[in-house]
Amino acid sequence: MTEAIPVVVQAVHQASEAGTSHGITHMMMLLVLQLAVIIIVAKIGGYLVQRFLNMPSVLGELLSGMIIGPYALGGKISLPDIGLLFAESNGFAASYELYGIATLASIILLFLAGLETDIAAFLRYSVVGSVVGLGGLLAAFIVGDLISVVWPGNGIDSFMDPAALFLGVISVATSVGITARILAEKRKMSSPEGVTILAGAVFDDVFGIVALAIVMGMAKVSMSGGEVNWGEIGIIAAKAIGFFVVVTSLGLIFARKITAAIKQFKSKEVIVAICFGLAMLLAGLAEMAGLAMIIGAYIMGLALSRTDLAHEIESNLKGVYNILVPIFFCVMGMMVDFAAMKPLLMFGIVYSLLAVLSKVIGCGLPALAMRFNARGALRIGLGMLPRGEVALIVAGIGLASGIIDQGIFGVAIMMTVITTLLAPPLLVKSFEGGSGLRKEMKGGSENIQSIALELPSRDITEFLLNRFIRALRNEEFYVNRLHPTEPTYQVRKDDIMFVLIEDGKTLRINVPDEHQTVARLMLLEELLSLSDLLEATQKMEDLQSMGNDLLAGMF
Amino acid sequence: MNLKKVLTKDSVLLSLKANTKQDVIEEMVTFLAEAGKVGDRDAALNAVLDREAKMSTGMQHGIAIPHGKTDSVDKLIVAIALQPEGVDFEAMDEKPSTIFVMTLSPENHTGPHIQFLAEISKLLSQETLRAKLLAAKNEEEVLTLLT
Repeated sequence: MTEAIPVVVQAVHQASEAGTSHGITHMMMLLVLQLAVIIIVAKIGGYLVQRFLNMPSVLGELLSGMIIGPYALGGKISLPDIGLLFAESNGFAASYELYGIATLASIILLFLAGLETDIAAFLRYSVVGSVVGLGGLLAAFIVGDLISVVWPGNGIDSFMDPAALFLGVISVATSVGITARILAEKRKMSSPEGVTILAGAVFDDVFGIVALAIVMGMAKVSMSGGEVNWGEIGIIAAKAIGFFVVVTSLGLIFARKITAAIKQFKSKEVIVAICFGLAMLLAGLAEMAGLAMIIGAYIMGLALSRTDLAHEIESNLKGVYNILVPIFFCVMGMMVDFAAMKPLLMFGIVYSLLAVLSKVIGCGLPALAMRFNARGALRIGLGMLPRGEVALIVAGIGLASGIIDQGIFGVAIMMTVITTLLAPPLLVKSFEGGSGLRKEMKGGSENIQSIALELPSRDITEFLLNRFIRALRNEEFYVNRLHPTEPTYQVRKDDIMFVLIEDGKTLRINVPDEHQTVARLMLLEELLSLSDLLEATQKMEDLQSMGNDLLAGMF
Repeated sequence: MNLKKVLTKDSVLLSLKANTKQDVIEEMVTFLAEAGKVGDRDAALNAVLDREAKMSTGMQHGIAIPHGKTDSVDKLIVAIALQPEGVDFEAMDEKPSTIFVMTLSPENHTGPHIQFLAEISKLLSQETLRAKLLAAKNEEEVLTLLT
């Protein structure tokens, strides 16, 4: 990745020299045309997969990339004046400029992921969450690394081989979005298993980033011809963890001061843009420190997640995110070289299946040891199964820096797709049957209350729900919509978590016993504020005359 | 949440004199205003009374949580008052109220305002704590029991 910048400069320079201004104009024209095709195809692919297969849109975006990439349609259809729209360039599926846009997208993705992390929950969450997260991380990393060493014919022969380390890290990061959606649909979000999975996933995210930092450091030493010994690994790990802890702590300590200073600008757009600029700055610094850019972006997100700007930045960047991030996944799909993957197909299948087993066992065993029975442990393991965005980004970094080749990259994509496809049906099936807790623990502290409030019409329910969400955000809760079409929301803050569901005329809150007071009191306040509104509506002039005023002079 | 950040010794009013709902609210708002925590006493009083008019904040077991949103404060302000003999606060269980927690919060500032009320209500749901509070001899003791 570090090498990419001088190469791009060189490429631009060569292009402009070769064809004067025509060279660079042609290059940009090609880029714009490529982006046009990518955005349209990726968005439609994502939509179709989500709408008809009920799977995350990222799968559709990846698939669109595979179809239009240089190793499929892109390498076959030649256009007049342009030639191949997506040709391989320098042995790489995307041109440098296109990869640049994808890198920017990965920074936005991780910046927002950091912003959405509830760091207080991370620091305080139940012990079981951290043990489950760590168990899954270690098992996935070791199994992912070892299988690549043991498997013959893939050119990897030691545990410390950068490619082996990458295959380990790629299989670590859980993408909990799909699990969260299923838990919400099955009303299991606040179940002991649900709470544990979501807590485990927070740990998994943070530890996954730290693990990536360590592996990046080790890989860079080994790529530059140096020998990585255990002493050096200690130094690299200390440096990576140190960078993470020091920068995150500084960020958290000064975030409020920094945002207070930025807020002097009084313009939301300026504020949001500066915050994003800071994320890119830290991304660049992280890369300079020998880590990966996404680590810096994630840390900046984490630091700002505790400030009152978090929601503002998130909602303002959502538009850019919706356009750019599908480009990233589509470009990742384009990089899948089917021919290079063919000899590694068996390896890919075994690697993917082991990625399933390692998470189920790695997360399941600690859960079993703590307070769950075999059924509960299986549910937790399956919930931590899907890998997604972070795995793809790590794989992309590995490919771009030459640590893994296109065949291994294809294997990583295959694993992401297989785990994401397998998780939903298995998870749904596992939730059939009784409690996942051991008998003696039943009826413990995790009793869930279902508060249901039926209102006279759907409109009023929707209105009240929106007011309630706004009030929750004002109280510094994180409210995330879990499903693109179903009005189901997850509410989080520190160790509080509950689910809001708009179910026809009924507003439902599933909340653990110990946190029902806050949910009930806040909903009561919003319900009472409806009476103010009613009073205000009654003060409105006669509707007939208001209507007449509106239409007067139209004809 | 950390109640210590919000509750201090000068938030406790041990000897509440009032014996009607209106008087309790007035006495508590005046207590806060005299401590210099409220800019406009009357505006704050009206905010609490307006909220009370919609639905009484008299809960069960002698707990009442009168509160209001007003721009006469710039952050969450809390007062805790005790009246062991009890006052008719139109409580849900129709019993006299003995422990009063009042909060005033600014209209448009974000922050854990209702969450504070929820946390303290949760604490007060313990019968032994309520008994100890009502028997407290000084402000310090009230504070230690709650934080």
